[in-house]
Amino acid sequence: MPHKTLPFILLSAALAAFPLPLAAQDVALKGGTILTITRGTIENGTVLVQKGKITAVGKDVAIPAGVKVIDASGMYVLPGLIDTHTHIAIDGGDVNEATDPVTPQLWMKDILLPDDPSILTTLSGGVTTVKAMHGSANVIGAVNATIKLKYARPLEDLLVKDVRPQLKMALGENPKRLYGGQGRMPSTRLGTVYVARKAFTDAREYKAKWDEYEKAVASGKKDAAPPARDDKLETLKLVLERKMTIDIHIYRADEMVWFLNFCKEFGLVCSQISHCVDGYKVADLLAERGVTFGGWTDWWGFKEEAYDGCPYGFDILNEAGVNIVINSDSPDESRYLYLNAAKVQKYNDLSDETVLRMITINSAKALEMDKRIGSLEVGKDGDVAVFDKYPLDSTAKCLMALIEGEVFFDLARDGVAAQKGGLR
Amino acid sequence: MKRPAILVLAACCLVSIARTAPADKPIVILNGKIRPVVGPALERGSLLIENGKITAVGPTVRVPKDARVIDASGMYVYPGMVAPLTALGLTGYPGAGNDVNETGLSTPFIDPFDGLNPEDETIAIARVDGVTTALTASGSARPINGRAIALHLDGNLAEEMILQRDVCLVFNTTVRQTNSYPSTYEGVSRFFDEKLGKAKQYMEKKKGGDVPRDPESEALMPVLEGRLPVVFVAHGEVPIRIALRLISDYKIKGILFSASSEILKYADQIAARGIPVIWGGTSQLPERWEPVDKNYHAAAVLAEKKILLALSESSYQGSSNVRRQPVPASLSVAYGLPEEEAVKALTINPARIFGLDDRVGSLEAGKSADIIICTKPLIQASSKIKTVLIAGRIVPMENVQTRLRDKYRAIVRERMARKK
Repeated sequence: MPHKTLPFILLSAALAAFPLPLAAQDVALKGGTILTITRGTIENGTVLVQKGKITAVGKDVAIPAGVKVIDASGMYVLPGLIDTHTHIAIDGGDVNEATDPVTPQLWMKDILLPDDPSILTTLSGGVTTVKAMHGSANVIGAVNATIKLKYARPLEDLLVKDVRPQLKMALGENPKRLYGGQGRMPSTRLGTVYVARKAFTDAREYKAKWDEYEKAVASGKKDAAPPARDDKLETLKLVLERKMTIDIHIYRADEMVWFLNFCKEFGLVCSQISHCVDGYKVADLLAERGVTFGGWTDWWGFKEEAYDGCPYGFDILNEAGVNIVINSDSPDESRYLYLNAAKVQKYNDLSDETVLRMITINSAKALEMDKRIGSLEVGKDGDVAVFDKYPLDSTAKCLMALIEGEVFFDLARDGVAAQKGGLR
Repeated sequence: MKRPAILVLAACCLVSIARTAPADKPIVILNGKIRPVVGPALERGSLLIENGKITAVGPTVRVPKDARVIDASGMYVYPGMVAPLTALGLTGYPGAGNDVNETGLSTPFIDPFDGLNPEDETIAIARVDGVTTALTASGSARPINGRAIALHLDGNLAEEMILQRDVCLVFNTTVRQTNSYPSTYEGVSRFFDEKLGKAKQYMEKKKGGDVPRDPESEALMPVLEGRLPVVFVAHGEVPIRIALRLISDYKIKGILFSASSEILKYADQIAARGIPVIWGGTSQLPERWEPVDKNYHAAAVLAEKKILLALSESSYQGSSNVRRQPVPASLSVAYGLPEEEAVKALTINPARIFGLDDRVGSLEAGKSADIIICTKPLIQASSKIKTVLIAGRIVPMENVQTRLRDKYRAIVRERMARKK
């Protein structure tokens, strides 16, 4: 590249890194085909967002004066998509604290990067909410963070509060390979389940001590001494108290069954099984326990525990009544969750409505945020994706992504179309 | 293709290794939306298949009395896809091993045929989704890799799968060694000069009389003679430049395999020099200073410049995901590549790049009957592939994954019924 263009590159890089999202204001998306997800499709409809919340969805919506109008005629308007498994907005080196198989004292929210370019690329696929997760090196990893992709805003604005956080856990090959390779436990699945059991048994004892102490204090005992604080067990105590849930990385069905029983024994809540490759084999058990299937459409075969991956399994999961979520675990694939949802239909006889739910309202349920996001309904957050065509048409693309009424992605601004001098 | 009767019998009897019904009777595909790729589309047309070949395509065709008729009304009919750089047949289940990327920096004498396993499950996975021909390379991760072979994805024995041996060699100008030569791009560039220079000298000495046999130079000779093309795996500015230089310095019939947007900078030069491109970068993330959709647009830009373009679902040589070939086509069409160009980049273009277009890649009389019938246009992710023919044989639409589905659907249903 000729040197004289360097200043321009730096300038455009700076602009790309800090675009100014359009100022917070009330907005109406007018004239599009609205896919509400939960309440059918509205042709030539309007979505009105005021103070960040959806205040009207319908055909004849009066748009108050002063509301910015986005002409969505000929376009498709749907809720912002949700990715329940990503490692975006994290410096690559910070995904795994791979020095100890039990690290629940760590919280992903502490290290997120709100102006990481992965946020913008993910937004470009219409995704507005993601779970930014710890990796799968540890049996018990860190506490994940759910974020809204408010690119380049202060981190505080991105973090979703008032929902139960989800602790990352992992069984199977990864912890075994990493720690076994160092001659440490776990080097087998036997070791892995022991590590999990020991941690939660310790946490149960820790919780009992604190309960006893608090009871003593409540009953007026002034000389009661508090137990020694332990940061790891503090987090696990929250899980035992069901103030935190679990998102666990499991490929194999036998380990899923083990974990479902483990949750029952300790009274834990499992929100999602991630990389739920074998989930179709135990679909009825997942449905019974209300555990979300979180997985890919057609990835398989890249390691031994992924060999039974089966894109035809969604029919079985659906028939059993499982909450099915398509997620990415990849900053690349996160940009076209809609294409992966369409691909589910290649291998299964599922309706458009069913597969669209897998990247919207089902995902919101897995995050326990279905009262707030995942569909276009009055009272929900104004998180909206605008596509040029029907999103299950594989030649569709996302034109715009709004969060709480603000435009955080606009293809006309962030894509090649805005590049002076065309594509080089 | 004639096969010994005993093989046909074995194929019919053993469901687990069942491949295809023998192509003894003519087949007529009736009243489909025919997309021949070469030539105009037919909104309602038919195909006649005899002895494994397409013998007629048109609004109507002769229907022989004994023909097996496949009703394709409402469906789309395409030529089978040709996957450009894969490891199909060299991978498979644990225990089958992985026979890609032999050790050594330069192994041009390695032939994937010697390790080819027709039982590799990735073959049946790719073909039920419409990939009927694949280029399988012995490797692509070393600077000078072995040869590549064009396979029909059907056959009980390795030799039955061969469409063409010795299609090309694979060079990689991207890979640098850690802690050994060549560990820099200047080293990589020089490394190729050393190897190709040595082969050139060997070739000249050989003309002059007897020389001690050097298998490496011997295997590189057809490249220098312009008889054997080379795929250059070139990701990034400098690797692309090295590849372009080598192609011109040694007059190599070169093909670029790239997954980085720098290729756009060289597009005019590549077009002018008539170098084909296998683009594997559609879904690569943009660099942080690039517009978010830059790589989605790249195929459209390359096609606009009349570069002979094939699409690859991946930036590396894979096997389990070869069925995802339509994904880069879908994304590229969404961002500007005309749909017909995208379909060509999955079928006839890779066939042309590898010199297989006299046999595969389009629906034309005289070509191998490699055909897919699907419910929607090929680039639609939700398009269901209903029927696949390879060399006129109807392929069973099953593989390890359909068997897992059938097994566990029954198990889950039974368990649910018991609980009721």
